[in-house]
Amino acid sequence: MRAADAVSQLRPRLSLRGRLYLFSGAILMLFAFNVGTSLWGSFARNESSIAYREAVTAAQLTAELEQNLQNKRQQVLVLATLRETTEEPLDAAALNQAYADLEIIAERLRQLGGFGGEDLEAYYRRLHDSVTALLGEWRQFYERYNETTQTPDIESAVSYNNTQQRLQELDQRQSFVAVQRANAIDATITLTDQITVLGFISSIAITLALVFAMIRSTNASLTRMKRGVERFGSGDLTYRIDEQRDSGEIGDLARTFNDMSTKLQTAIEEMNTARADADSANAAKSMFLANVSHELRTPLNAIIGYSEMLQDELGDGAQIDREQFHHDLATIIFSGKQLLTLINDILDLSKIETGKMQVSREIFSPAGLLVQVCDALSPLLLQNNNRLKLDIDKDSMRDMNSDRGKLQQIVTNLFSNACKFTKDGEITVSAHMSEESLIVSVADTGIGMTQAQQDRVFEAFTQAESNTGVKYGGTGLGLAIVREFCAMLGGRVALESQPDQGSNFRVTLPADPTSVPAGA
Amino acid sequence: MTDIDPSILLVEDNEVNRDMLVRRLQRAGHHVSTVGDGEAALEAMRQQQPAVVLMDMNLPIKDGWTACQEAQQDPSLSSIPIIALTAHAMEEDKRRALEAGCSDYATKPVDFPDLLAKIAAQLDARC
Repeated sequence: MRAADAVSQLRPRLSLRGRLYLFSGAILMLFAFNVGTSLWGSFARNESSIAYREAVTAAQLTAELEQNLQNKRQQVLVLATLRETTEEPLDAAALNQAYADLEIIAERLRQLGGFGGEDLEAYYRRLHDSVTALLGEWRQFYERYNETTQTPDIESAVSYNNTQQRLQELDQRQSFVAVQRANAIDATITLTDQITVLGFISSIAITLALVFAMIRSTNASLTRMKRGVERFGSGDLTYRIDEQRDSGEIGDLARTFNDMSTKLQTAIEEMNTARADADSANAAKSMFLANVSHELRTPLNAIIGYSEMLQDELGDGAQIDREQFHHDLATIIFSGKQLLTLINDILDLSKIETGKMQVSREIFSPAGLLVQVCDALSPLLLQNNNRLKLDIDKDSMRDMNSDRGKLQQIVTNLFSNACKFTKDGEITVSAHMSEESLIVSVADTGIGMTQAQQDRVFEAFTQAESNTGVKYGGTGLGLAIVREFCAMLGGRVALESQPDQGSNFRVTLPADPTSVPAGA
Repeated sequence: MTDIDPSILLVEDNEVNRDMLVRRLQRAGHHVSTVGDGEAALEAMRQQQPAVVLMDMNLPIKDGWTACQEAQQDPSLSSIPIIALTAHAMEEDKRRALEAGCSDYATKPVDFPDLLAKIAAQLDARC
């Protein structure tokens, strides 16, 4: 994974648009390179062929010059012979023609000087000197032709031979240069052809490589996108596309997709949670209904059973055991009251849940209320042979502004729970007031609870164990009502307990939530 | 009803209900013994071999369903008919009781003549 990360770090992060620009740029550069090579090739070829043509022209001029010189010499020799034999002078026209011929030769020589470049410079210079000398001698020949009876000197033989020599040297040199240039042209053509072919082939190769890389990288990006969509679509809600791997449009797309995935995931999870909550709420309600049904039937069983039995006994007309009869009636009454309490609890909780439970505040003495409740509930102590210890700190007690009925029910519920879960033990109801609060605690020496049981014991419709209702009765509503009532009165209930060590419920309620007393 | 008061074992943990049922069954001419939990019920079934067992399902120590299943697996007890007796009134609860091996089922509050008819049916089936 590390190595792959490192590779992806090295990969240039280019957008799709960037890749296309880079790709087009690279292809344009290759094209320009090819065009450049081709231009350079034709330029070089052109240069070489110009030089070649010059060499050929120069060779032609040289040949013409040689021809001219030969013709002129022939003329001069003929004239010289004629002069000796006929002694006829030349007329002006012939002389001018002769000078013009010499001028043409001189002109040719000058033309020749324009060709050949440095290679031929030295040869040309030497030829020029000797031709100029020869032409000078011939000019003298013509000038003196009519003046004297004596045959004028034609030339020094050396001059003409020299000139011939020089012409041949130049000619040879020109041939050599022409061959060299031809070779150079061949080499240039070969070289430019090779470069053109190489450039063309490499252009194709590089273009193909670029196209391939482009397809691959774009394809890889799109494949990552596709895989992301597939994985997410198939239910892997935590899958995210690696948005660092792509930049530009595809990176944006990946990020947008990931944002959408996160929102979808949240929505789906919220929906699942809501559904699970609804399901568990439903299950709790069904469970509650089953429990309520069970609990209603238990006292009803006693009420109906005993009533029918007493009816039967009365119908028998046999002697009635008054004491037994009284006891049976008491059982019927107790069961009826139990049923009433249960129904009231259910109604209370239902009111709390629908927000219809009202708080009705009044000024009353909490100490008096506690004594009253404990008196009224003392028969419960007898059930499991428990003792009551009432510990009210009379010095700190004063009147409070709260809901009397709800405090009474809080204490009643805690007290009857304590009696229910304690056998042959002690129930301690203690109370004192701080500056702001009434603190009442109901402690027992009963079976107690584990931490896990304590965590759920205040939840409505639950008891410490699912079969607690079986062993000890109740629907698991008492403590839920205590907690709700405490909250409604602006206070709280806390629990300390250990298995087999008893439980201690501690209720803290504000003495007067409307004003903070200015000292006790 | 016979005069030979065949014995009934009543398994019930609630004192009030136990007292009421015992007295009514006795008035109907049955001989009734009682225990308060599932474990004790199995023990009493082995010792007394009752003609029929009325068993509450929500029992301490060992609940009624478990006790029924164990009685079914014990060859010496499997022939004793058990009538489930419970305040759980849902169809689901009835099915659960019959699956656990109970022969019949009665819902609390008990319709007493109906319960007596069910007991009689079990006793007749056994004869």
